[in-house]
Amino acid sequence: MSKKLSNKVEDSFPNGEPVNISRRRFLLSSAGVTAGAFVLGFGLPLGKARAQDGGKVTPGTRVPAFLEIRPDNTVRLQSPFVEGGQGVWTAMAQIVGEELDADPKSFVVESAPAGQDYLVINNVMRITGGSNSVRSSYTTMRKLGAMARHMLLQAASTRLNVPVEQLSTEPGYVINTSSGEKTSYGSLAKDALDLETPDPDSVKLRDPSTFRWIGKPVDRLDIYVKSTGKAEYTIDISVEGMVHAAVQHAPRLGLDVASISNEADVRAMKGVMSVHRLPGAVAVVAERWWHAKVAAEALQVEWNKRDMDGVKFRYMPDDFSTAAFSDRLANEPGDGKAAEEEGDIKSAFSDATTTVEATYHSQFLHHGQLEPASTLARFNDDGTLDMWMPNQAPEQFQAQIAKLTGLSAEQIKVHSPMLGGFFGRHFLYPEANPYPQAIQLAKEVGRPVKVIWSREEEFLRDPLRPMAAVKFRGGLDADGMPVALEAISVTEGPSEANSGHDPDKVDSFAVEGLTGKTYAIANRRIAQNYVEMPAMLAYWRSVGHSMNDFFYETFLDEMADKGGQDPYEMRLALLKDNKRLTTLLKSVVDLSGGWKRGPFSADDGSQRARGVGMASPFGTESAAIAEVSMKNGEVIVHDVWEAIDPGSIVNPAIIEAQVKSAAALGLSQILMEEVIYEKGEPTARNYDLYPILRPDQMPQIHVRIIESGAKMGGIGEPGLPPVLPAVANAVSTLTGQRVRSMPLSNLRFES
Amino acid sequence: MKKFLLTVLGLGVVGAAGVALIATHTPSSPFDDKKAATPPSADLVKRGEYVARLGDCVACHTVPGGKSFAGGLEMGTPLGSIFTTNITPDPETGIGNYTLADFDRALREGVAADGHRLYPAMPYPSYDKMPDEDIEALYAYFMTEVKPVKQANKPSEIEWPLNMRWPLALWNVVFTEGEVYQAKEAHDEMWNRGAYLVQGPGHCGSCHTPRGPAMNEVALDESSEEYLSGALLDGWYAPSLRNDPNIGLGRWSEEDVYAYLKNGRNQHGVVFGSMVEAFNNSTQFMTDDDLMSIAHYLKSLPADPDYDGPVWSYDPDTADELTRDVADKVPGAQTYAANCAFCHGRDGLGKNEWIPPLAGVSSMLAPEAQSAINVTLNGSTRVVSNGVPDSYRMPPYREHLSDAQMADVLTYARSAWGNHGDAVTADEVAELRGHTDPASIDVIILQMR
Amino acid sequence: MKLSINNKTYDVDAEGDTPLLWVIRDNLGLTGTKYGCGLAQCGACSVMVDGVVTRSCVTPVDSVEGQEITTIEAIENDPVGKRVVEKWVEHQVPQCGYCQSGQVMAATALLKEIENPTQDDVDAAMVNLCRCGTYNAIHAALKDLSGNEGDAS
Ligand code: FES
Ligand code: FES
Repeated sequence: MSKKLSNKVEDSFPNGEPVNISRRRFLLSSAGVTAGAFVLGFGLPLGKARAQDGGKVTPGTRVPAFLEIRPDNTVRLQSPFVEGGQGVWTAMAQIVGEELDADPKSFVVESAPAGQDYLVINNVMRITGGSNSVRSSYTTMRKLGAMARHMLLQAASTRLNVPVEQLSTEPGYVINTSSGEKTSYGSLAKDALDLETPDPDSVKLRDPSTFRWIGKPVDRLDIYVKSTGKAEYTIDISVEGMVHAAVQHAPRLGLDVASISNEADVRAMKGVMSVHRLPGAVAVVAERWWHAKVAAEALQVEWNKRDMDGVKFRYMPDDFSTAAFSDRLANEPGDGKAAEEEGDIKSAFSDATTTVEATYHSQFLHHGQLEPASTLARFNDDGTLDMWMPNQAPEQFQAQIAKLTGLSAEQIKVHSPMLGGFFGRHFLYPEANPYPQAIQLAKEVGRPVKVIWSREEEFLRDPLRPMAAVKFRGGLDADGMPVALEAISVTEGPSEANSGHDPDKVDSFAVEGLTGKTYAIANRRIAQNYVEMPAMLAYWRSVGHSMNDFFYETFLDEMADKGGQDPYEMRLALLKDNKRLTTLLKSVVDLSGGWKRGPFSADDGSQRARGVGMASPFGTESAAIAEVSMKNGEVIVHDVWEAIDPGSIVNPAIIEAQVKSAAALGLSQILMEEVIYEKGEPTARNYDLYPILRPDQMPQIHVRIIESGAKMGGIGEPGLPPVLPAVANAVSTLTGQRVRSMPLSNLRFES
Repeated sequence: MKKFLLTVLGLGVVGAAGVALIATHTPSSPFDDKKAATPPSADLVKRGEYVARLGDCVACHTVPGGKSFAGGLEMGTPLGSIFTTNITPDPETGIGNYTLADFDRALREGVAADGHRLYPAMPYPSYDKMPDEDIEALYAYFMTEVKPVKQANKPSEIEWPLNMRWPLALWNVVFTEGEVYQAKEAHDEMWNRGAYLVQGPGHCGSCHTPRGPAMNEVALDESSEEYLSGALLDGWYAPSLRNDPNIGLGRWSEEDVYAYLKNGRNQHGVVFGSMVEAFNNSTQFMTDDDLMSIAHYLKSLPADPDYDGPVWSYDPDTADELTRDVADKVPGAQTYAANCAFCHGRDGLGKNEWIPPLAGVSSMLAPEAQSAINVTLNGSTRVVSNGVPDSYRMPPYREHLSDAQMADVLTYARSAWGNHGDAVTADEVAELRGHTDPASIDVIILQMR
Repeated sequence: MKLSINNKTYDVDAEGDTPLLWVIRDNLGLTGTKYGCGLAQCGACSVMVDGVVTRSCVTPVDSVEGQEITTIEAIENDPVGKRVVEKWVEHQVPQCGYCQSGQVMAATALLKEIENPTQDDVDAAMVNLCRCGTYNAIHAALKDLSGNEGDAS
């Protein structure tokens, strides 16, 4: 941003603060500190850290890489995980604060840069995804807080000349227990910096029964900035001298520019600085993004097939249609590769009294996060490169950028601003992220370039949640109870799609949710029949579970109906040896006011029904009941009751919000979402033809959290999977018509 | 719509011998004994290119994303789909082997070089009015400037017996005038130029004049009050271009007409539906004099108050209905507030000339609601003015609104702000939904060279 | 052209058909107003024009000359907006937050027009999309706000 401009902006801000005030400055000023007055407490410059340790550090152990305590006692935390709405920054502050003995309110959290220190997931990696953040780093981050507290105590001991045993802490202060004298963390921080980091195994962690913040509905740290437009996302960032770029992507993957018929005309358009050819795209650079966007759209490009040798992405044929592909999946021969086998499926089926067979379908989906993809790239005079980009895995992007530019990882600084939603969108997917474009353009124009994908270009390159056709076979005994189940999913998993298919393996992400079910069905075979898809595929909130629990739990109801069983009672019977899930199922029924399948008449005269669904995703257990009615052939969801057991918890308020959020995304999927391809191109490029759940379609979601004490599970995703079958089963009960595919908006119901 | 066949065959009973004569006869051309100049003069080619702009050949003879003039565009007719043909100078698949006389016969008589009859989707009854010099110029342009493309024509999907083409000869006898435009003494030069452009190359009547039972335009010039009085075609209502204040240009000045054709927009509206192609490829390239002439001519066509009904005037009170507390009590008003008002305004006035008003526009006042329904279901095609795409496009609402909701919201808009269009029914919406598709969002600039 | 935004006059150099959104974000650097769809479908770009909620991505800049534009940056200068923000914080509404500038704008405009909106009023006015599904929380906050008599503090 130019000097002149920023002046204007500052002037415009009503209370004299610049509009682009950063989170940090805001929090500090609200904490009573004048911006600019604080002094570095302790903290280790990262370059130095790397140089000293050559990447051999044990992640999550070097306190200064994570924490800085300022003289005013605010604590700056470098979070290994990116905040995208799931509340992880607040959770990190709660966990570290609990052991450090500092109120989470006094924390200022940001995304940590790329670096060995932050690979806190099993000490080898970090991603923000898989509902992993809190559960995978919980102990590490607690220890980190405890180590920092230990260092502060050591520093106080030296400064005050009293033995450590005589010192204690209260939030933000070291206390001399004999004199009652209080010394603030902020004043000790400088001394503490010089001390050795203690051995993580030597520090004592708090007794959970004394937790003040962990397990409590602590307010989120990012709410105020997000309610006042002060939160900064990648799309909002500007740097000195920056220019904007917009792109027009090839209509299909695997094409390159052959020619541009009106390049000179477009160059002459208002505001246009330059026109560029990129792999599979053309770009326009301008001082204003609007000029770039209009000009990029105006380019008349002839595309031809790209040389696909050695590329990781796919060629999209010009006759690809999702309708035809869905048929192909349903008719694909073969029994697939087994992912889970139990008992003797063959004899179980021959002994079964009744057999049920059905094929179920799922659709391609967009992530549809509200912030379209963007990236800002800046080459610096010292040969380094700064990248601001939405990402769920900084080191992975850093490594890829190193390959692309020939720079070393140390020369590439990956900034990970807050995400305007992600749901799996911002992993490293070939051709799906704007960073290679930003890098090439920054090189070509010699200035920092911010590329923003318009919504239309975003939907054209958004990698998709895979489609699947699942062929089910169920065997029932004379009592109508399931004794055999076979599920063959014809699909491709997101992992094999991005990292390569191994013919000897099943992509566990393709079948999770068909596998891992705990119902006592003695004979089972779950398999994947691999079919490569021409579209780029992605993780999508709850990944395989986003469709597989729909398939399984809806087919379970189909079996129950065939066997004359009540679907709830049947589930209870199948779970009778599983105390945790029995409790969960009973509590969701209790939350809904007792099992009431319907159809029944509601007070408003509508006919309604309820359905139930369960899932075991990401180390958490979840169950949902949905109540539906029909209006003019459309499904209305009135209420969803959901019980979730993540074992143990850090913040119940965040969990409740996340369950509602996940439920909403699940509802959106089952009610209306579907990416349709015709002639190799998606028919929808914006929310007009790809509708997502609207406010008037949102039911009230009622949440109950159960802490069974089991190993801590994930939170961001597990709320989603059980909602889909709960809705589908309710609709089947209400209409007498089986639901075997999504979205429901495609089905015609005779009412 | 079997009427076409019946009428045409009915004529056949008149006299078998006469029929046979007409149907097999290849019309003569003034160019029969004349060879085109090779190479043609640069002036002639330039004039030809302009005539091609006037006639908007490229819009129909090109598919989006395809090569210019190579044909293949599907044209829905009540009888089945037909596909426009390759008119590039490729000798095998195009018109490369056409002599000037062949070219003339195709253009003005609707007879291809091999003698087969063209469907009157090709506006030869209009082109018929073009003078010999323009035909010659057009021929020169096509043969020298258009790049030959080898692309075979697609057969039409019209089934036997309707696919027999010889009855078209009879059709021509009945429904074409068969003569070059003759200036009307009673009018000045500007009027006559306008009349020529509108009736001839501009072929405005193809969309804006009602068609008779045999798919013929019921009038080909201003001598009939049905000429350009508004028509339904292909899911769109092409409004009256006469001085009707509601469904026509009655409230537009000549300058307004000029601005609309030049810029694709004015304070009364923005081109949409099929008019986008006419604007994108043709009208914006016309000279100011020609556009003013067209405006002048159109403004001379009298209104028909009996058909047009009471003159619309703005009623500002409707906007109040959209204040939050009553919106939910008027059917369709809430849908309007949640979906339409952000662009078209609670006051129905749009936003300057960029986003069109809904108050007082023909699509909201005409008895035929097809255009209103179609653009709401499918959105609008991108308007490209001077190479620059529009900043705002109407999105399709087919995935957001049910037939009943769309009927309600259109009924509301057609009755708000003084509008008095008829109510829209859910059945009308369902019917159009069934056989239309969303407009493409691609910016399409068809190249003429 | 002159624009009045947040009680300040700006001299803006832009073509008349430029969407207000991009003038606000790029020319003036006020990035609190978000781009989500550019097509009046999501509401992330909502601002107030003379107190009425307006989707700035479909507002040609020349159509708001002479009108008073309020963006999220000045929301707390408005007594109603200030209350909305307080309730947003109390009910912990945002998740990713990207849609929330627009949601706060829509809520403020609604409450400025109707002091105590009914559930129907809220349903009719709060039509912005939220991909994170914060709709329950938004409704809870508005219910809370609707109960209050206009408190101008
Ligand atoms: S960005 Fe304006 S409505 Fe979506
Ligand atoms: S909070 Fe993320 S889109 Fe609404």
